[in-house]
Amino acid sequence: MCDSLLSDSMRFVLVTLCMASCVALAQRRNRDLTPNPLAGNPEAIAAGQKLFVSACGGCHGLNAEGGRGPNLADGRLIRRSSARTLFNVVKQGVPGSDMPAFPLPDEKIWQLLAYVRSLSAPAIESPPPGDVDAGRTLFFGKAGCSGCHMIFGQGGFLGPDLSNAGEAHALKQLRAALLDPKSRSTEGYVGVTVVTKSGEKITGVARNHTNYSIQLVDASGNLHLLSTGELRNVIWHDGSIMPGDYATRLTPVEIDNLLAFLSRQTVRPIETKTAMTRNYR
Amino acid sequence: MSAQRGTRSPVGKNASGPLRCAQRLLRRRFALPMVLAALTVILISSPLSAQVSFEDIRKGPGADWLTYAGDYASQRHSPLKQIDVANVRRLVPKWTYHVESSRRLETTPLVYDGVMYITGTNEVQALDARTGRRIWIYDDDRAMRQGVNRGVALLGNRVFFVTSDAHLVALDRRTGGVLWQTGYAPAAKGYGASSAPLALKDRVIVGVSGGDGGIRGFVAAFSAATGEELWRYWTVPLRGQPGSESWGGFPADYAGGATWMSGSYDPELNLLYWQTGNPWPDLYGKPRGGDNLYTDAIVALDADTGKLKWYFQFTPHDTHDWDAQSIPVLVDMDFQGRRRKLLLHPNRNGFFYVLDRTDGQFLRATPFVEKLNWASGIDREGRPIVLPNTDPTPAGNLVCPSKRGAANWNSPAFDPATGLLYVPSLEQCDIYTTQESVPEPGKGLDGGGADEIPSDPGQFYLRAIDPQTGKRRWQYPMTGPTTMWAGALSTAGGIVFFGDDDGQLVALDARSGRYLWHYNMGQTLTASPITFSIAGNQYVSIAAGSDIFTFGLFQSAQDAAASSLGTRNTLPPRSVVRGY
Repeated sequence: MCDSLLSDSMRFVLVTLCMASCVALAQRRNRDLTPNPLAGNPEAIAAGQKLFVSACGGCHGLNAEGGRGPNLADGRLIRRSSARTLFNVVKQGVPGSDMPAFPLPDEKIWQLLAYVRSLSAPAIESPPPGDVDAGRTLFFGKAGCSGCHMIFGQGGFLGPDLSNAGEAHALKQLRAALLDPKSRSTEGYVGVTVVTKSGEKITGVARNHTNYSIQLVDASGNLHLLSTGELRNVIWHDGSIMPGDYATRLTPVEIDNLLAFLSRQTVRPIETKTAMTRNYR
Repeated sequence: MSAQRGTRSPVGKNASGPLRCAQRLLRRRFALPMVLAALTVILISSPLSAQVSFEDIRKGPGADWLTYAGDYASQRHSPLKQIDVANVRRLVPKWTYHVESSRRLETTPLVYDGVMYITGTNEVQALDARTGRRIWIYDDDRAMRQGVNRGVALLGNRVFFVTSDAHLVALDRRTGGVLWQTGYAPAAKGYGASSAPLALKDRVIVGVSGGDGGIRGFVAAFSAATGEELWRYWTVPLRGQPGSESWGGFPADYAGGATWMSGSYDPELNLLYWQTGNPWPDLYGKPRGGDNLYTDAIVALDADTGKLKWYFQFTPHDTHDWDAQSIPVLVDMDFQGRRRKLLLHPNRNGFFYVLDRTDGQFLRATPFVEKLNWASGIDREGRPIVLPNTDPTPAGNLVCPSKRGAANWNSPAFDPATGLLYVPSLEQCDIYTTQESVPEPGKGLDGGGADEIPSDPGQFYLRAIDPQTGKRRWQYPMTGPTTMWAGALSTAGGIVFFGDDDGQLVALDARSGRYLWHYNMGQTLTASPITFSIAGNQYVSIAAGSDIFTFGLFQSAQDAAASSLGTRNTLPPRSVVRGY
């Protein structure tokens, strides 16, 4: 019975796969039964941006990074939804929420969606030029990234895991995180030192915290799950622990190499037909 | 004080390159006195992370809940007894965690070292198990299917789960970072996955879903360290292989036998007991003449090689979609005059089976529901005595149990103290219809339908069955719309907890079935409860709809202050920190 719960999505996937086999690389992951006819079209994206600022910016922020409405630029919300779902959200609104219906012509809606999708287009779909191997050497060596960031189990515990960096982020976001970390949210990665009532000091990043508890991971990867009632003091670190000087510490070529490497990090490498059927028999 | 319970030992001397680097970074970024103190902690007293070992899981649940069904025997029984028959009325909610974008959580949470691991659709989250605050989330938004998920497996410092499109993923349990990921069945051919993997020794065992659409089921083992495939056991033999004569020439590629639930394991015998699903097309049996091995069965596999040691088929030539998905419960007890290693299994077909799990010998089967009209009993060899005119027909045929079955994947629990098996049981019939042609495989079509009878929607019961006699000791009738998929948990406190058909967690006296306590979570339940203990406090958790609920005994203000939890202690302001 439970399998039958999946049958709709299975049909959906099958149709998608048939289509996917004859479209370009950039569309290989498209799960949509009705894809956006204007997806990736530069003119449509430009028109969509203009429309977005006037129609959507009031709630979602002029750069779509959120406000009264949710952030549409960070990928998660947008990528989890099909083009048709997003289309209906714009056209019909979301009942029971602040999102009103926008009865725009279809073409205008597709323009809007082409723009919004372009904000979170994963870096891996258009990876920048650069020496990937040199980037890898930098990541695990001189640039010191692996002191805090892990890729497939190699590296440190304090920063976000980057095994999926090319899929999870747009190139623009990766560049900003590297060169201007202050522009990025530090939520879940704020440096903190706590002093327990017994005098023990623990330093790391707070993956979460409230007035009553802190969930802290230290540089060795140990989780410390603390009730604030157990603490004597909490000292927050000012800003991100991500170094802010990579723009000057690395050469432009090194930055390109590092971004070329990061943009290609994915936990789901392209599945060729051979790979997909490798284990079938 | 840290919630960490690992062995404390100096790690500074062995600090790896990245660790040294991180320490340097922290040193640069924090005020010097702070840094010196902090480094002292890191270098001298930083705890080495404790790890989940095979032996830990083998021991069964204690303070932690380390595998889907509690232990390898799948008894879902905990030795914790702080919450008992006398005080369970003081059970109160401790925290609720909302899983965004979920609607139907089927996850069994695992708990280790103060951390709870839960799954939603293509995602895993680690929570502080005392407070319900999130530590990390891993979200695979590229998965090609969006289905339900029933939980993770733990081994070493790793968390394993399957995506809806049958990728097995290994995560670092401290950060949620990916260690490896491998696709093990093509979604394009109709495969999916939904069950919690089973971790043992150095390996992780998984199954597949998709059996209602025409796939060929298998169980596979992967190296926990590398993701390399170690073996694969196909549940349907190819032409010429033993058992293939039971198919009337029907192609194995579409024949079903999915493996969409976690199995059980006996470490002494080194045997896995895995459930197999229905043959395909589910409700149209004509083109697949014969018993259709090894569908609707339990297969006993060597955990090292994946080789079949024995099998037992419950419903030969099934035409009612009666997957054998209720998890096998392994029990050692005196039975019919001698000590035996038993396997207990309430089946979707309405019979409760007792097998000898060393060799698969059939010992006894008794009906555990009253609405049962397809067979008059089970013969000495364990084969059903099928009554005439019980197949689905184009016009419709009323048969009991229903397609959902008398028991399904929602777990039973076994209490060694009472010797009783607690089974969520459904009294229900369906009108079964069939098509008269084989549908196209890989499209989710199952060759027929089963409709509930609107005027007689059926009823759920929690039934306590005595494996010694096969008889019912007591039962607890539920009200509700027969939409739940909740399982049971028993504890040494003498309680059986279970989710009912009205969205409530209920506690009964395990000996008598007497009602003790309930709490309304207001959502349809599709998961089974667990229990665990942190710092001497026992908790009970269950997923309900789109939330995780966790309960513990009510503490007076005095008790709460003594344990330091619940003490109000606002943090210093952090207005300088961005992102909040």
